[in-house]
Formats: sequence, structure tokens, C-alpha cells
Amino acid sequence: MNKHIFHISGTHCASCKLMIEDSLNENPFEQKAVVDIKNEILSIETTSTENKLTVMKSINEKISINGYLLSTEKIIEKEDSSLWIAIPIGIVVLFLFFLLQKSGLLNIGIGGAVTPVSSFIIGLIASVSSCLAIVGGLVLSLSAKAVQDGVSTKKTFFLFHIGRLLSFALLGGIFGLIGSALGINFVLAGILGIIASLVMLFLGLNLVGFFSKNNITLPPGIFKIFKNIENNSLAPFLVGLGTFFLPCGFTQAMQVSALSSGSFLSGLLIMFAFALGTLPVLLLLSFGSVSFSKSKHAPVFFKSAGIVVIGLALFALLSGLAGLGIINPLFNI
Amino acid sequence: MNKTKLTSLIVTGIFLIAFGIIFFANSSNKEKTSSEEPSSNVEIIDGVQYIKIIAKGGYSPNSTIAKANIPTELIMETNGSYDCSIALVINDIKYRKMLPTTGETKIDLGLNKSGKIIRGLCSMGMYNFSINFK
Repeated sequence: MNKHIFHISGTHCASCKLMIEDSLNENPFEQKAVVDIKNEILSIETTSTENKLTVMKSINEKISINGYLLSTEKIIEKEDSSLWIAIPIGIVVLFLFFLLQKSGLLNIGIGGAVTPVSSFIIGLIASVSSCLAIVGGLVLSLSAKAVQDGVSTKKTFFLFHIGRLLSFALLGGIFGLIGSALGINFVLAGILGIIASLVMLFLGLNLVGFFSKNNITLPPGIFKIFKNIENNSLAPFLVGLGTFFLPCGFTQAMQVSALSSGSFLSGLLIMFAFALGTLPVLLLLSFGSVSFSKSKHAPVFFKSAGIVVIGLALFALLSGLAGLGIINPLFNI
Repeated sequence: MNKTKLTSLIVTGIFLIAFGIIFFANSSNKEKTSSEEPSSNVEIIDGVQYIKIIAKGGYSPNSTIAKANIPTELIMETNGSYDCSIALVINDIKYRKMLPTTGETKIDLGLNKSGKIIRGLCSMGMYNFSINFK
């Protein structure tokens, strides 16, 4: 057995340890790799008789696609200016978003009964309204998380959007069928919204790099559970399903229309058309963020996205608490 | 301090101040200039005070001054409203209901003492209105 020790860079998450070790321990040579996240060191015992540099090269071929890199010398990171560029970008995006809300441009009245066509249009409007604060924020953090962890983003989004469309169609249909026997629970929606905003806050801080900087790492046992949930192909699907229950005035209005529509099919069509209307903007956000993440501006993009997600999360959290009557409303958009 | 940091701080600062002016200053000004007289959306017919508030992309008027110690009904008017403002929550009277997308909804506010403030907001909490009894 030969033992080599390398410096490793790019390990920004605690789950990186498991990912690297897993990918290196399945190998034609019998070998054992151990990553020390804290000191950014990878030690490997291998039966391969090649010299240190060749071993390093072959490992780098394997792990560099996920953004990790081995070196014989410790790489001293030069001062990272990406956060300083990201903060103003994030603030400007947030500013424009709230300005759009305040402008009144989105208060287009649609009179008459709700048809699938009008609910599609309402979906289009909803997708750029403040409802985007929660669902869009979730999408943004999902995509960034998937890219960072090297999970297939296409699959993640496919599952998320399918889950969203399915739950809207099916639950819309059920609402139409059962009718007013079912009410919409404001309190439940409010609590879900607060949970979603806390998750967003966590993901946003993670995107900005708050956790890696302060070396807050979870014990490997807990992380293994998280990793299993993340790798569970159903997770994005379930998040998509859950968006039906998130508080959003437009969604709730459509749910009421579905409730009073009186049949499974009409309820289904109203909610499905609404979800379809929100799809273009969400798709743009999904795949736009992925294509950004592959460019050289990726660090700036993720940090800006983090700032936006944190801003939206705080907004959703404070509004949600006000909605439940826990605090006085702070702002009026 | 290098150039990037400085530019970053300046841009951030400017937009944060703009944020403050647009979203917060607005509401505090109104409360200062508010008079003792009932607002124009308040009407008293046969000893009952009716307060009319339009719910569409927010609530207007945003703050209302009403008379205290008189039976009061709140009339929420909607007209093709689909946004959050129709998911009305008035925590003071435990009211949580969806308003119709078009129509008028009467809500009994009962008798209110002078100085009482009733706040209503939409379920997501980003729109709100207040009624000040004087």
C-alpha cells in the first residue's frame, strides 16, 4: 500500500467529504480515501504503484467535474471579491422586484367568471407578483443547490415542475368535486409559508457562503441523512407538490374558484391552467440560473441569488408573521 | 479598502436608502398628518357607521379615521381582484375569509372605543390597512 497526502480545494460543503470519498473508493485499485474537511486534506492509501503526481492527475480527472481540485501545495485563496459584487446586484434585483409590485402594473382586473383561459392569464401575472417571492425563491435555491452538489439539474427541475403541475391539477379537481365542504385554511398556509421562508433563509445564507466561511459543519451522521434526502429522486417532486399549499393570494383565489366550480374536470382545468400560466417565468428562472451557473460568473451569480433569496425570505417571513397576527405589519407594498 | 468594495458599499447604500424612502417613509408620514376628522370613505347612515375599503392590489384607502362608540360596519369592495388582498385577515376580530373576486362584503366591527386601531391585512401579510377610531 502506498499512502499519499494532497491538499484539496473546492470543498465548500460538509457533504463534499462523502461525495469525494464515495467516488474514489469505487475504483479498479483497492484503495481507501479519507477527506479531512477542516484542514482541506485528502489522504489516500492505494495499491496502485504509480507516483504521486500520476495518482493526483487521475483523481483530479474524477473529481474536477464537481469543482474539487487536488494539489501538492496548499492553494492560498486570494481575496474573494465576488461577494462584494454580488451584494449590490442582489439589492438592485430586490429593489426592482418590489418596485414592480408597488407600481400597480400587476393589478390588472379580470372580470367575469373564471375560465381556464382567464386562470392561465392570472397565472402569468401571479408568476411575476409577490407570490414569486416564495415559489421563485425556492426554485432559485433548488437550482443552485443542485448545481453545487453536482446533481442533474434537468432531472431536479423536471420533477419539481411535474410535481407542481400534477398537484395543482389533481387537487384542483378534488376541490371542484368536494366543493365547499373543504375550506382553505389560512393558518395552515401561513405556517407552511413561514417554514418555507425559514428554509429559504437557510439556503440563501448557504449560497452566500455564510456557512463555509464560519466553518459551521454538521456532524457527518446528520449530513448523511440530509444527503439521502437530497439524493432521493422524489424530493424535488414533493417540493413541487407542496407549492399548492404555499400562501399566495392568486393561488388562493384560484382555489376558491375551483371550489365553487362544482365538478372535478372544471376544478382540474382551472388549477392546471393557472399552474401552466406560472410555468414560463419559473422555467426561465430554473434554466436561466443553470446556464449562468456554468459560466465563469458562477460565483457572483450564486452569491447574488443568495442575497435575493435572503431578501425574499425575510420579506416572506415578516409578512407571514404579520399574517398570523404575531407581529404588526411592517410594510405595505 | 479597494475599489470594488467601495463601489459595492456605495451602490448598496444608495439602494437601501431608496428602499427606505419608498416603502417605509410613506406610511409614517400619513399617520403624522392624520386629522381628527373621519375620512371621506366613512359614512354614517341611520346611526350606523359604514367604512368602505377597496381591495385590489392592496387596500385603499390605506388608513382610515372613523368615529368611536358607534356601531360600525366595514364594507370590503372587490372588482376583478385576484391578488392577495382578497384573502382578508383581521386578527382583532378573528376574521379570516376569502372575499369574492367581485362584489361587496359586509363585516361587522361592532362598537369601538376611542384610540382603538383595527388592522386588516392579506393572508400573506404584504398588504394592510388600518382603521383608527377617534
